[in-house]
Amino acid sequence: MNLWLTQHLQALKLVLARFKNNILGTLLISLAIGVTLALPIILYVVLDNLGGLVSDVKKESHLSVFLKLDHDEPMLQNIKSELEKNTSIKSLQFVSKEDALKQISSASNNEELIDSLEENPLPDAFFIEPILLDSSSVETLKSQISKLEGVEYVQVDDAWIKRLNYLLALGKKAMLVLAILLGFALFAVIGNTIRMQILTQQEEIEVSQLIGATKGFIRRPFLYSGAMYGLFGGLFGLIISCAVILLFNQSLTALAAEYQTNFSLSLPSMLVHVATYIFAITVGLFSAYLAVSKSLFKSFN
Amino acid sequence: MITFDNVTKRYPGSHEALTNVSFTIEQGEMIYVTGHSGAGKSTLLKLIAAIERPTNGIVLINNQNVSKLKASTLPFIRRKFGLVFQDHKLLYDRNCYHNVALPLLINGITGAEAGKRIRAALDKVGLLDKEKVMPITLSGGEQQRLAIARAVVSRPSILIADEPTGNLDKNYAEDIIALFSAFQQVGVTVIIATHDALGTANYKNKVLRLNQGKLIAPDEVSA
Repeated sequence: MNLWLTQHLQALKLVLARFKNNILGTLLISLAIGVTLALPIILYVVLDNLGGLVSDVKKESHLSVFLKLDHDEPMLQNIKSELEKNTSIKSLQFVSKEDALKQISSASNNEELIDSLEENPLPDAFFIEPILLDSSSVETLKSQISKLEGVEYVQVDDAWIKRLNYLLALGKKAMLVLAILLGFALFAVIGNTIRMQILTQQEEIEVSQLIGATKGFIRRPFLYSGAMYGLFGGLFGLIISCAVILLFNQSLTALAAEYQTNFSLSLPSMLVHVATYIFAITVGLFSAYLAVSKSLFKSFN
Repeated sequence: MITFDNVTKRYPGSHEALTNVSFTIEQGEMIYVTGHSGAGKSTLLKLIAAIERPTNGIVLINNQNVSKLKASTLPFIRRKFGLVFQDHKLLYDRNCYHNVALPLLINGITGAEAGKRIRAALDKVGLLDKEKVMPITLSGGEQQRLAIARAVVSRPSILIADEPTGNLDKNYAEDIIALFSAFQQVGVTVIIATHDALGTANYKNKVLRLNQGKLIAPDEVSA
């Protein structure tokens, strides 16, 4: 155990000393890895924030049931009781045509125009919030209500949300593909860097093997190098994405204010931080392992 | 103890480097391996040091059969040996101290204990005042002695040297041989390969004489 620890500390010290000797090179490689990681991180944060926005809006999404202008009172009571009996409706609100007219006139400040109307053109309406918000159950509910006598038209208010959801799903797929492709790029960058290091230390490796170094002993510093590149790259990636998000947030809040909403991108969450480090370090370790195994033991058994 | 029993080594796509070689080396002996270049001296040393495995036959090192060992245990066998290579194989990117430190690092020995051993090894070969010097600035004889310091620093029980006096003039060569004798006197088995039969004639040590991969029996070596 003690020997094990000593060997790992040794390898770590060696790697840190090598990095220190070549600070600029290490920084540049880490920066390249960081930029590669920043792209999917930013994309993820944007999609995640938009997704949050959609689910906020979704809670308000409802069906509007407009009644025929010439319906009578029993018909209205019938519709009302049918809707109240329906188990897939969460809440129900009735707005009579008189109330609707009042609301419009108070909201739009054109009482004169409304006063000039001879008769109220608005229908009575129910506003329904369904329990299940997925499109098929909303569709079922819509067709059920449409069949009721006295109902003119049922409008589902979430068509644009549906489209946005599809777009978000598309975006998430794009992000996944991007992350995988950039993962390969990372793999190549780190693998090549390690291969270069192996070349410069070929003699040391050869002598070490001749005088009894195990494969693990030789592999260890390179694995630490790979993991370090991942760690530093992850750090740079998160710094870059935070900087970019903060930069965009200024304009975004200004834009959102024009729409009377309060929207800004949140910084990467703890989960994103942890996931980034795990991903980057794993790729670093794996590519270092492959590079060492391929380069080292070809000529020597 | 090292025992070769009918050992044959053939490199892929080449003739037999060693053919049916059998001998035994006892602990504490000093052995010369001689022969013209290409006679199989280096191959013999590599087989002893568990760097190569025999194509046929049995190589026993301290009663362990090298050809039966798993590849992953070979490094641990190699640590029993101190190796001095024909071309030194010093590392020119670090100073003398760190060159000698390499075997200790491999054995997981660091810190004060390592420092003590490294300085003792450098002292033994007369390079104690050069510990901070880069090996490229040393003379040929000094580089050879540094290589010896690296070979003995982990206190191996067997010391193997391939042409240690090859490129040195007579005085330096005698120094080096005297150094090896000193190690033998404290119980280390010393095996030296040399094409220089003259250098060995003065010593009353055992000689393994190779000719085209075959061991010439001692009675044929009528001086």
